[in-house]
Amino acid sequence: MASLKSLKKQAQEEITKTRDLKELDTIFKKYLGKRGKITQILSKIKNLRKEKRVKVGKEANLLKNFIKQKIETRAKKMRDISASAEETGVIDITIPGKRPLFGHLHPLTQVQKKVEEIFQSLGFSVVEGPEIETEWYNFDALNIPKDHPARDAWNTLWLKDSELLLRTQTSPVQIRYMEKNNPPLRIIAPGRTFRHEATDASHEVNFYQVEGLMIDKKVSAANFRAIIQEFFQRFFSESAEASREGGGKQIKIRIRPSYFPFTEPSFEVDMSCLNCQGKGCSACSQTGWMEMMGAGMVHPNVYKAVGLNPKNWQGFAFGMGLDRLAMMKYKINDIRLFYSGDLRFLQQF
Amino acid sequence: MKFSYNWLKEYLSKIPKPEKLAEILTMHSFEMKEVIKSKGDFILDIDVLPNRGPDCFSHIGIAREIAAITNSKFQTPKYKIQATRYKTKDFIKVEVKNREACPRYTARVITGIKVSPSPKWIQERLIVCGLRPINNIVDITNYVMLETGQPLHAFDGEKLESKKIIVRFAKKGEKITTLDREKYDLDKDILVIADLKEPLAIAGIKGGVSAEIDKKTNTIVVESANFNQKVIRRGSQKLNLKTDASLRFEHGIDPNVTETAVNRVAHLIQKIVGGKIAQGLVDFYAKKTLPKMIRLNLDYVERLLGIRISPREIKNILRKLDFRLSEVGSPKVNEVLVEIPTWRLDISLPEDLIEEIGRVSGYNKLPAVFPQISLIPSKRNFASFWQELAKTSLREAGFSEVYNYSFIGEKLSKILGYKDKDLIEIENPVSEEQKYLRPSLTPNLLKNVRDNLRYFDEMRIFELGKIYRKSKMKEKRMLTGLVAKKEAVSESEAFSQLKGTIDSLLNKMGISNIWYDAYQPTPKGSRISIWQSKKTAEIKIDHTKIGFLGGISSKILTELKIKVSIFLFDLDFELLSRLSSEEHEFRPLSRYPSAVRDLAVLVPRGVKVVQVLNKINTAGGFLVRDVDLFDMYEGEEMPEGKKNLAFHIIYQAENHTLSSKEIEGLHNKIIKNLEEELGWQVRK
Repeated sequence: MASLKSLKKQAQEEITKTRDLKELDTIFKKYLGKRGKITQILSKIKNLRKEKRVKVGKEANLLKNFIKQKIETRAKKMRDISASAEETGVIDITIPGKRPLFGHLHPLTQVQKKVEEIFQSLGFSVVEGPEIETEWYNFDALNIPKDHPARDAWNTLWLKDSELLLRTQTSPVQIRYMEKNNPPLRIIAPGRTFRHEATDASHEVNFYQVEGLMIDKKVSAANFRAIIQEFFQRFFSESAEASREGGGKQIKIRIRPSYFPFTEPSFEVDMSCLNCQGKGCSACSQTGWMEMMGAGMVHPNVYKAVGLNPKNWQGFAFGMGLDRLAMMKYKINDIRLFYSGDLRFLQQF
Repeated sequence: MKFSYNWLKEYLSKIPKPEKLAEILTMHSFEMKEVIKSKGDFILDIDVLPNRGPDCFSHIGIAREIAAITNSKFQTPKYKIQATRYKTKDFIKVEVKNREACPRYTARVITGIKVSPSPKWIQERLIVCGLRPINNIVDITNYVMLETGQPLHAFDGEKLESKKIIVRFAKKGEKITTLDREKYDLDKDILVIADLKEPLAIAGIKGGVSAEIDKKTNTIVVESANFNQKVIRRGSQKLNLKTDASLRFEHGIDPNVTETAVNRVAHLIQKIVGGKIAQGLVDFYAKKTLPKMIRLNLDYVERLLGIRISPREIKNILRKLDFRLSEVGSPKVNEVLVEIPTWRLDISLPEDLIEEIGRVSGYNKLPAVFPQISLIPSKRNFASFWQELAKTSLREAGFSEVYNYSFIGEKLSKILGYKDKDLIEIENPVSEEQKYLRPSLTPNLLKNVRDNLRYFDEMRIFELGKIYRKSKMKEKRMLTGLVAKKEAVSESEAFSQLKGTIDSLLNKMGISNIWYDAYQPTPKGSRISIWQSKKTAEIKIDHTKIGFLGGISSKILTELKIKVSIFLFDLDFELLSRLSSEEHEFRPLSRYPSAVRDLAVLVPRGVKVVQVLNKINTAGGFLVRDVDLFDMYEGEEMPEGKKNLAFHIIYQAENHTLSSKEIEGLHNKIIKNLEEELGWQVRK
């Protein structure tokens, strides 16, 4: 029975070549299906002689079982492979991650928060005041008389058909707070301020300031120096990186004379240039110092304006630009970017 | 202000090199911004502080300052006047009509002068200080101004009508032509120097042509007067005319300097030009300014500065600044009596003296000492707490924060339909685009969309800031945000997403009873609405209106050249902060299982989701824990004019496990109730 032998060989080869269950099924049908080759042989053996019938029948049945078994083994192997492929299936880890949609907070919001956190940890409360102000709160109560050249330092935007103005600094909040709260007190007042100013990379018609005020029985200029040095140190030098390395670089400040009608003595506070560490560079006009804030000891006339006796209290006040802090912190070179609404800028924060 | 290094050197026994001087002055007096080399001299650009104008808008003042800081000797020039026997008062009479406006008027007369260019050394100094040489007489008066800080003016004595000088306010309709041939209309607020006929000069600001010095001039009257600083400032602002003289007068000057200055001019004219000086001064001086006396407690110096400076050093510093000291009271009281020279107009309080001591000694000596005070905890600021919470929540929802200008221009305001009566106008705007205070955050946010569409196809932005309303001139904090998308999504989907954002935001602020009412366009109808009225809802918390949510009118978008649809919310943040709550109570987890049944109902298109929800809740009662709309369909396969709403209804009891019989009963009751409505059909 050479034909059965060659059939066996042929079937065996074909089974080995199959790549999936579908191909295997085709092979099954080809040999063992209703019209399969083995099925046909078996259906024809009734026409054979008895001995031959027995022999061929036996061999054909053996072949049938053989093929059946081969196919099952092959099928099992295939199923195993596909199952294990699923379990240990490979993920291309180089595909880019899909980010959840987060928005961004404005850099001035973030800087203001940081300033508030530092001062709150030093016991300062955060308070607010209105942007539309009266001449009394913005100037007179701060000892800035009418028709005095001192007013030239504050180019004011006035509201039409009224006596009102847009506050030129956050200092009026000092007055409003002291009218309602008795010392001792420690406050900061961040907020939007306005100047009649031609805009350029470092001037804006609206901008942010933070005012500070600390009044007690004997708060001195030396106390001011400690508080403000601590603030700059924390704001510019304290970071997670710096604390791991055992503290950031030392920020130096210097105090020099200035004039503000609402403080006496008055100070200008400079900070060692972050860019060159005081060596002198283009950022600090070669001086090694950056102008950071105006400050001073609260003027007796300011106490009087809010009904306090200047003999009983002493303390300091300061004011600085939040925009400037943010510009220095993030190395932003144009103040106008803050108010541009440009998402290419805002999405970096 | 510009100063000559060589000039300062003349008054001092020693002077540091220009760069060193810059550092010293910056740390102890005034910032010196620049040192420029100039033909054997240095131009020093010193930023004299405004309260020191009275004494330091002069070389003598700056030299005195340097002497005090560097411990060098300071000496002003000495000279003698050779007068003739003719008396000044025979040449000229002075009448001051308003002694408050002009506390002192001093004049001298010099005859036999000849006008010509001034000597080179005077010209060079004027040029270093930024002044233009004119002729010998004018240059000498300017030179003495730069030296003493006292502005001076020379009139041609023969041009004065009736030899009389009257100091008075101008009359309405009077005019003057100044030396630079500019014409000014004067009024009753402008102080003038006049003769019997007409104004000769705008007092303290600029001279006029009618008594101008010229080539034929032989006799001059030199004026050295003191004018009220407010009067000069007001006049200068009104005429929009600022001069070297007006700058000095508006900062205030010691009236006692007029005499020294006029004598100095007379001396220099005689020395340089020749001529004869008439004897004596014409001097109107109503009330002599005397030195102030201040009692200074030396302990207070230490208390205010926080550093101990020895009494010896304190006294030393004050003396170097030409203050005179005398001891007062018993030796127990640590006080000195300080006499303030009249040129120090800035000093009237002990604190002013402490500033002098502090700065001359050097603020860099101040130690950094933390205050010893009672521990008073800082107060929590709830306004900023809610602001931060709202901002963070919106950031988490994918919104980016913008800060816009507080202003809008006329063009934008017109597009959005604001009326002048709603807007606060700026009296002196910086630009057209900043003519009004913004009445809403919306206009500038829409501008942000237009600008950003060049780079982004989709954006979610918000601003939390103040708006300004004309009524009562009030400001109010608003929270406004928007979603703009180039890719088309169904408007209903965009609306629903933004509504969900607001729900989540308000929930985070502890507000739950939010509902959305149909938008009612303003009854007046006159105002253009920014909203598409049929795609907008009014947001309410109980009965309080807190804002709007909806689509922006396509007319406005077209005018702004924005080609995407925008859904925007506008919330009154002050109201929100007031309604918000930090209280939050845990609700026990039910120990009994919940069961979910789905329900789909076919309703006419006009029916609102909330109507169906209300029906379900009413019929289901408290055992309906939650109803969740998971599908809304109004597509083609629906019967004409109908839409399909599909809900998950969650049943749960707090005290037992609901049996399937109970659930079926409730569910059937809900179905029955829904089907009672005309045209509502529950799909089974």
